[in-house]
Amino acid sequence: MKKPKDLNLETLSLHAGNKPDSDFGSRATPIYQTSSFVFPDSETAAGIFNNERAGHTYSRITNPTNAVLEERISSLEGGVGSISTASGQAALFLAISTILGQNSHIVASKSLYGGSHNLLEYTLPRFGIKTSFVDFRKPKNVKAAIQKNTGMLFGETLGNPGLDVMNIEVISNIAHKNKIPLLVDSTFTTPYLMKPFDHGADIVFHSATKFLSGHGVVIGGLLVDSGKFDWSENKLFKTLNEAYKGFHNMKFVDEFGPAAFINRARKEGSRDFGSCMSPHTAFLILQGLETLSLRMEKHVSNTREIVNFLSEHKEVKSVSYPELKDHPDHELAKKILPHGCGAVFTFEIKGGLESGRKFIESLNIFSHLANVGDAKSLVIHPASTTHHRMDKQSLKKAGITEDTVRLSVGIEDIHDLKEDLDEALKQVNR
Amino acid sequence: MYLHPNKKIRKNSEPIIFIHGTGMDHTVWTLPVRHFSRKKRDVMAIDLPGHGNNKDKPLDSINEISKYIYNFLDKNSITKCSIVGHSMGSLIALEMASSQPKRINAISMIGTAFPMQVNEALLESAKENPEIAINILTFMGYSYSSRLGGNKTPGMWMTESTKRLMQKSKKGIIYKDLKACSEFSDGLEKARDVRCKVQLILGSNDFLTPRIKAQDLIENFKEPLVEEIEGSGHSLMMEEPNKVLDFLIKLHSKL
Repeated sequence: MKKPKDLNLETLSLHAGNKPDSDFGSRATPIYQTSSFVFPDSETAAGIFNNERAGHTYSRITNPTNAVLEERISSLEGGVGSISTASGQAALFLAISTILGQNSHIVASKSLYGGSHNLLEYTLPRFGIKTSFVDFRKPKNVKAAIQKNTGMLFGETLGNPGLDVMNIEVISNIAHKNKIPLLVDSTFTTPYLMKPFDHGADIVFHSATKFLSGHGVVIGGLLVDSGKFDWSENKLFKTLNEAYKGFHNMKFVDEFGPAAFINRARKEGSRDFGSCMSPHTAFLILQGLETLSLRMEKHVSNTREIVNFLSEHKEVKSVSYPELKDHPDHELAKKILPHGCGAVFTFEIKGGLESGRKFIESLNIFSHLANVGDAKSLVIHPASTTHHRMDKQSLKKAGITEDTVRLSVGIEDIHDLKEDLDEALKQVNR
Repeated sequence: MYLHPNKKIRKNSEPIIFIHGTGMDHTVWTLPVRHFSRKKRDVMAIDLPGHGNNKDKPLDSINEISKYIYNFLDKNSITKCSIVGHSMGSLIALEMASSQPKRINAISMIGTAFPMQVNEALLESAKENPEIAINILTFMGYSYSSRLGGNKTPGMWMTESTKRLMQKSKKGIIYKDLKACSEFSDGLEKARDVRCKVQLILGSNDFLTPRIKAQDLIENFKEPLVEEIEGSGHSLMMEEPNKVLDFLIKLHSKL
């Protein structure tokens, strides 16, 4: 018997989670710009609060517009459910705080976004959660870093900014042998380029600020649960296996089975931490998602041309992009990222810091700002901006030098982009 | 036997017993179990042998499963109960209500039909390649509309949740369950033997147990309550959790 044909990503990007509204037939998802929802009677109110009825109570916890977005990203990633958050950082914190607490430990990739590194290195230790940063290209080091209290492995599909490609299959096998989950930041790839759950990841989060929304107009995050990890196998995960006094002694594994993690995250984290996404932001991200496949295709094709253009340019020392043969993860990228390695990459400009400054200031189409994944092309100097809190040793570990320039390639006309880069590079030695 | 919620059973209580369908476990009943618990009713959502947390050997027929549950009830001095069953669970409810009619107060059969004949190719897939069977059961288990989501429970993606539950079931379970459904016989005679109140909760867009296939059952029960949920597929507790709960309250809160 043949497997039934599931709907494709291009269709789900437009439709998943949304039905024309029952009151007026609005085809677009309505923005439910309301803090709270009227209960028809006391009994229904009690039922929703007791989790015996489905429904909304308060937009900090759930909202119908956000719910459409949450279903949509779940469908695109192949997860059982998701939570929209105020930012990608909020999604990361929600993922960690849902299962870890005092005396916990994380093993994370050394190649992380600066904001994630700050949270793990400087902030979470104050709450009793420590992190060991290791090279995920060296599985032996990952295994060696796991301690008795390690509750999570964490890395990015494409490390920021050096584009280390995570071998999710290998890393998740290590995680699962130790009965711990693998959390993956999939911001740079989006489900268009890769679905981490298909390779063994257990939880995924996105900074939806980037490619998912795609137009640089919102800050938002999405946390998605694969529902594949067996939390009951490891007593370390007390928040899911033991009675929770904060919700009528609910045992999440018993009540929700595969969806235990995402339910605890909502019933505790969304309720208590307050890092919710506004319904208007959810609406804008939904608009972005509708064109995800078109934009990603163009992002990648433009990036490929610019990578080749810069690789041959006389003012450029080196280009780091996994599709280039000299990238350490070239073979792995061919295998798990056949549709492209995203639209963010770094290159080293000849002449060091001063050349980099001159180059950036000479660009006209590329905007100098701290973001990636916009439809508009962007540029930044990581050592002095996004990663400036890292010392030289940490920068080196993350593959960043003072010569490193990061580009986020947009969807403008490719000839215009190349000309802008060429003109700016010519200014470097003038 | 694994019971949820995992509380001590009161002797001589008359609980509502919730019985899941093929490849599922007690977690499909979280919402109604929470409701009836709040209303101080004795409730138990069970994991059938080999399902969820129940380590007992899986059983081959609806009749054997029915006896297994009665055996458990006897051991716990439960002389009377009501049954809520979904899909395969609804056939177990029917078998229990017809084999020991005096012990059952009421049955709710959700997403049901007789015969519950399973396509040979699907049975073969379940035996040889369960992942394909899981995909087919999930695909057919939802209405066209629900395949695109619109979950009443915010943020949850229905089809993947169902798949994940079946993927977690032990090897061979889905095949055994489907075979038991397919081989369940004399359903109409058994319907005529039932003495308790009967409720059927049916989805108008059910592709696995189509509404029309419940008609013979309806005609052979004595004055059944027939509740139809417009637009719902076979996964009624996921697709229309509030309507299912309202119908269950309508029957069981009065008992």
